[in-house]
Amino acid sequence: MTPEQFAARRQAGWAELESHLAQARRGALRSVPAADLQRFGVLYRHAASDLAIARRDFAGQPVTEYLNGLCGRAHPLIYRGRPVRPSALPRFYASGLPRAVRAAGPYVAASLALSVAGVLAGWLSVRLRPDLAATLIPDSLFDRMARGEVSGGIGDAPVAASLIIGNNVKVALLCFCGGVLLGIPTALTLLANGWVLGTLASSIHRDGIDYRFWAYIVPHGVIELSVIVLAGATGLMLGDAILRPGLLSRGDALIAVALRAVVLCVGVASLLVVAGLLEGFVSPSDLPTPAKYAIGAGSGVLLYSWLLLGGRTRRAAAPRLQLDAGG
Amino acid sequence: MLPDLHEIRTADNVGIGYDPAGIGSRFLAFGVDTLVQGVVVIAALVVALALAPAGIAGTLAIALFLLVPLLVSVGYFAVAEALTAGRTPGKRALGLRVIRLDGGAPGLREALVRNIVRIIDLALGIGVVVMFFDRRSRRLGDLAAGTVVVREHRAPTAAAPPGLPPPILRTPDAGPAIDGVEHLGNAEWGALRTFLSRPGMAPDQRARLAAVIAERLCERLGLAPGAPERQWPPELLLERLYLQLLPRMAPAPPGHGMPV
Repeated sequence: MTPEQFAARRQAGWAELESHLAQARRGALRSVPAADLQRFGVLYRHAASDLAIARRDFAGQPVTEYLNGLCGRAHPLIYRGRPVRPSALPRFYASGLPRAVRAAGPYVAASLALSVAGVLAGWLSVRLRPDLAATLIPDSLFDRMARGEVSGGIGDAPVAASLIIGNNVKVALLCFCGGVLLGIPTALTLLANGWVLGTLASSIHRDGIDYRFWAYIVPHGVIELSVIVLAGATGLMLGDAILRPGLLSRGDALIAVALRAVVLCVGVASLLVVAGLLEGFVSPSDLPTPAKYAIGAGSGVLLYSWLLLGGRTRRAAAPRLQLDAGG
Repeated sequence: MLPDLHEIRTADNVGIGYDPAGIGSRFLAFGVDTLVQGVVVIAALVVALALAPAGIAGTLAIALFLLVPLLVSVGYFAVAEALTAGRTPGKRALGLRVIRLDGGAPGLREALVRNIVRIIDLALGIGVVVMFFDRRSRRLGDLAAGTVVVREHRAPTAAAPPGLPPPILRTPDAGPAIDGVEHLGNAEWGALRTFLSRPGMAPDQRARLAAVIAERLCERLGLAPGAPERQWPPELLLERLYLQLLPRMAPAPPGHGMPV
């Protein structure tokens, strides 16, 4: 059979598949009626089997390249991941996200350890060399503190909240993507984040505990620092997947872990909106200090009871009972 | 086919080859997408500035506007790729698409991974270096998400069927039967067909190429060194071989067709 004869015999089916492809909106078959969908599957399989014949008999000929392109365009329409529906969001926040956090336990611990190490290093360095405090504390922090202390008006609060949310989300995403470089940028980010808190706290506490300082940190800090630690954990997951891939190849291990971890990262990063609003509106406000502490503590209790308890199911006792009944 | 093709296997174990997109076209697509992002940000700015004098609502508008660049820089690509099955406006303009390694369309998770890691790829140009060394021009985001950006071949219309131009034949008759022609099959016939239908070759070039091909085919035919066919001009030999194979190729085997 010549390629021309082959093409002439099959062309009707190919043309029909082309017209189905043209109907697909936004790369999906959502708007296609059910009967047409079945037809699409049949046409696609026929085109694929034609491609197999063409690859054997007409290697390198235009008809083969054409069929390859046709199948290549049809394939992603049929094979795809499950679509994400907005209606799945409540369930994700109710059980999916807390479960993902708990599953990442060891990485969360490592991320927390890095943050604490940063805090301790910052604290000690200022304690040992108070003369260098101005160099040890990152500059922008002084600015931010100054702005935080000065601005009490509600007018600037929305703008401040936006800037803070944007900045924190960037840090969280950076923590995640640092994972592809073995988690080294992630670890550095966590250390630096801890360092900032450590140096600042240390220099402010030189003259004893300053409750006003903590009143400025605590209302938003509980959520914000928790989110950064959790985001750091996702980056460490990626780095660990590359370093210790187990039975998979390093590349495959990275992909498998990244697709799981990104859900966790984006999920916890969304909490930064809450933290940012607290930081913009509550932390610099004129609320009495005890109220600020209460808000911080309340946010912590809510956050951790949700993350630690959400999505837990009662241990299934059924199999054991059945065994007992049978024996 | 090119060695750098990304080949996937369908459920029926048929191989489909995808042509990975190079750095150049991807950079251009990125440029187009950046323009689209810029339009979105400017539109948001105009709205925010229009509302700015309006007291508390204006402050809120400015505050929300400050979030737009971040939302757009990460969100645009992730959402666009997830919603359009890997074809953002820029990629569509350049004829590119993102696919998973198994050939499927990327979902939201793949789109999020490859576009969050974009931050690292853009930093210090690491992404370009990685693309340069990867056989399929993948950047770090692609490596982490298990995706590859491929060229989407332009769809020929059904009216213009794919095929070679007709072969250039100078001898209408097939000549005397050539010994051992039964040793040749599809592959050789395809090569002959491709050679004979190539237009616009310089005559001396064509003759030289024909001599090389004829030499190879004579070996495959098992022709003795003194066989008369070896004395024919190479181009004549090729044309006659083509014509003698044609009857064997032309009648389609029965029962081969499918009810399409």
